Amino acid sequence: MMKRTIGATALVFLFALWLLPLFWLIITSLKAEQDVMTDHLALFSVPPSFINYAKAFGGTDILKWFKNSVIVALCTTLFTLFLNSTMAYVLSRIKFRGRNSLLLFILAGMMVPFEVIIIQLYLEFNALGILNTLAAVILPRLALPIGVFILTQFFKGIPEALEEAAYMDGASRFLVFGAIILPLGKSALFVVAILSFVNAWNDFLWPLVSISDSAKYTITVGIANFQGTHGTEYALIMAGAVIASIPLIVMYFLFKKNIVKGIAMTGIKG
Amino acid sequence: MQHRNRYVARDIAIFSAPYLIVYFAFLVFPVIYGIYLSFFDWNILSTKKFIGFKNFMEAFGDPKFLASFGHTCQFVLLSTPTIIIIGFLLALIAVRPTKSGKAAETVFFLPYILSTTVVGTLWAWLFQKNFGLFNQILAQFGFKPIGWLTDPRYAMVSIVGATIWWTAGFNMILFSAAIKQIPDEIYDSARIDGAGRLATLTKITIPLLKDTTLLVVILQLIASFKVFGQAYVMTGGGPYATTEVLVQYVYKTGFSYFRLGYASAMSILLFMVILIISGFQFILGKETK
Amino acid sequence: MKSRNLVLVAVFILIAGITLGAQTSQKPVEIGFWSLFTGGDGAFFDAMVKEFNASQNEIVMKTDTVKFDNYYTKLTAALAAKNAPDVVVMHQDRLSNFVPNGVLLPLDDYIKKAGIDISTFEQGPISNCRFDGKLYAIPMDVHPLIMYYNTDLFAKAGIAKAPATLAELVADAQAIQEKTGAIGIAADNTTATYKAYTLTRMFMSMLKEQGYSTLNANNTKANFNNDAGAKAYQALSDMVNKYKVTPKQLDYDSSVADFKLGKAGIHFNGVWVTGSFEQQAGLNFAAVKFPALFGTNASWSGSHTFAVPVQKTFDEKKVMAVMTFINWMTNHGYLWAKAGHVPTRKTAIDTPEFKSLPHRAGYADAVKYTFASPDTPKWPQCYDAISDSLEESVALNRDAKTALSNMEQVINAILAR
Repeated sequence: MMKRTIGATALVFLFALWLLPLFWLIITSLKAEQDVMTDHLALFSVPPSFINYAKAFGGTDILKWFKNSVIVALCTTLFTLFLNSTMAYVLSRIKFRGRNSLLLFILAGMMVPFEVIIIQLYLEFNALGILNTLAAVILPRLALPIGVFILTQFFKGIPEALEEAAYMDGASRFLVFGAIILPLGKSALFVVAILSFVNAWNDFLWPLVSISDSAKYTITVGIANFQGTHGTEYALIMAGAVIASIPLIVMYFLFKKNIVKGIAMTGIKG
Repeated sequence: MQHRNRYVARDIAIFSAPYLIVYFAFLVFPVIYGIYLSFFDWNILSTKKFIGFKNFMEAFGDPKFLASFGHTCQFVLLSTPTIIIIGFLLALIAVRPTKSGKAAETVFFLPYILSTTVVGTLWAWLFQKNFGLFNQILAQFGFKPIGWLTDPRYAMVSIVGATIWWTAGFNMILFSAAIKQIPDEIYDSARIDGAGRLATLTKITIPLLKDTTLLVVILQLIASFKVFGQAYVMTGGGPYATTEVLVQYVYKTGFSYFRLGYASAMSILLFMVILIISGFQFILGKETK
Repeated sequence: MKSRNLVLVAVFILIAGITLGAQTSQKPVEIGFWSLFTGGDGAFFDAMVKEFNASQNEIVMKTDTVKFDNYYTKLTAALAAKNAPDVVVMHQDRLSNFVPNGVLLPLDDYIKKAGIDISTFEQGPISNCRFDGKLYAIPMDVHPLIMYYNTDLFAKAGIAKAPATLAELVADAQAIQEKTGAIGIAADNTTATYKAYTLTRMFMSMLKEQGYSTLNANNTKANFNNDAGAKAYQALSDMVNKYKVTPKQLDYDSSVADFKLGKAGIHFNGVWVTGSFEQQAGLNFAAVKFPALFGTNASWSGSHTFAVPVQKTFDEKKVMAVMTFINWMTNHGYLWAKAGHVPTRKTAIDTPEFKSLPHRAGYADAVKYTFASPDTPKWPQCYDAISDSLEESVALNRDAKTALSNMEQVINAILAR
């Protein structure tokens, strides 16, 4: 009994420790700037100051940036789901020579740090004439290799018998894909959707370079400008970070079960 | 069946075309273009000058390239085993069927959804020497402030610490799912045989997680070699460039010093290292089956 | 016949009237502009642009702000694709990265056409924007390294006036530490959120005070591995290691915060923090140009300039609109001075608005003693390398000889490439 209470308290302590940074993020955002860099441990301003949020919402285009991020993240997610699932279908349900090599080739894409292809992408999009559009922000993110991996692993586990039966009834491959495979892959699709959404939402360097109109910035780019040229205003920056993270945190709590289940599914099939 | 086989090639083409078009256009092409650029001297604004392998030779003799690659390796060595092991330990907590198990899943995974900049800025602020939370707490207990990010002894470790908080939850989820897959009967028979908790863990659980562990190791290695964002935001590569990782040097070389050919050459070298090490790990993992 | 002529005349008048009307109710010229000013600087700058837009109807400036860290990434990519906006802010020491590549427009003709009197500018900053005799940018400000000091702490420590020599500087710092318990000199020496450039800026200034520029005349070799460099380095190292009047591992944000909270007597930084110090309740300070620690005065300085990117199709109307904008911004430099920067135009300095600003008049004369950074495209890399090297040497308490020869080796390797 004793052991269990010690264990339980230790656990609560661990949870508190893990949540402490997030707690501090919110607290700092609710302080007036001059209360941030002080001598003493000032836990919170009493009363909490919303001035940073007022500055963010009132003095910047943060709502526009928010809207842009929503558009970019949603479109990226939808298109990624389509592209990744069709690719995963091929890699998992059709046997052909070179199938494994193709998968590895796609996975190799994960090893490329995005920073090293930015200039090439910029010149490419400039040649295509679509810089400074949200489309430019969306396109490079659609080829999410890990999405293909997750879906391929998952689709592999769907029994062939189901497909066979449908073909015997004269169904076309497209019908089988849409009516059988996709519905069965719901939880894996969910995970890919979440990963894609989070990636797209948090994307920074590419939207920064490809968008020149500050009204078209995504929220990560916009709040980066809260960092002063010659001095750090921590409270304001934390407020920006909170605003930018809230949608993700809300989504996380809404879809937590699916996320966890889905990610889990990928690691299982070797 | 006949209908299906006749159109296999067509179907493969149609189904994979959308993805492959995007993949080639926006990932493969820039990489190939980057490889092409690595044989040139180019400052982005004027004409390219072909210089063959000179960029690669310069890299091998460039103390900053070697140093920053060393810092990346340092990060990989410090972070990979720790984030994997901690992920595993958190998973052990998360698999409990109790309320705390479910809570663990939520709490430990939550940081993963934050962006690099948010994590970097937040931890830079927590670690701030004179006014950050950690040193303020230490001061309450009478300790002198620690230069978490300004002392070369601690800076890299601090970055690893922040990264653990940020990403261990992902590994936790992978491990906890795999653990939950292990049938109860195995544990039951172990208990009947008198195996203690530690023995069960080491002789049963861990060996059964081999596949998942391999996946986690490879993913973690790749992610650690690519490290840049949070380190850059937290230390700017300091103190005196002791935490400047390779991707930061590549980024600076390309965008601050405008040497795109050289930057491309260095990134290819990094890409090859990641490829070789992941491939090696993969083969090793498959063989010990 | 007559009625037909009447109709024709009426139609003619109608058409003439419409076209003339169209001319006068012309849409204003829209000028795109990239600014790298965020935070406090950004607030002042955006206010100025707003006022410019409000003051006339012919031109509308559309500002897009990019955080400094990423500004040049974005700008260079845009210049490469000839996609850059109509006018950009550029640091003077970056111009040599862009001018030789022909991506910036030489401005002499348009300045003349717009009737801007170049002689109303401080000639030093203007000549730093000349390449091969042609003017490629117009400086809006200079922001030199200066010395701030806390007047209350000085009084408490019994110091009557600002230190004017190296010996006085050290003595005053020690007095502050002993008699008030505050830090003697808050000058950052460690990289954190911001790179520790202050060390480099002080080093370059002290070098120049002894008559040496950081690199040799044709920017092929380092010029500091000598007696002058040794003295400059030693002064920096001694502050931290010998006299201990500057804490070790001090980063920029902490250094500024220390001075702001009244915990440091002397602070070395650029003029840009003046505004922030002014807003700090209870802080009484003075600001003067960097002291002549080695006999003569010299102050490292940056300079924000306006440059005009070359576009795919040249549009003279837009370029002339840009000239009008630059003319207005530089003439109203006293508004920019609120951010602490020193205007480059005498017509802005000789105004009651500027003269009434506290502190700025005190260091405005620093402009006379500023000097340009070496005009080589390799300068940004050298600047970073010098910073890393000084930071490391001071932190590890290296002797001058080792520190300088290490630094020289690195710099010469970069320049030789």
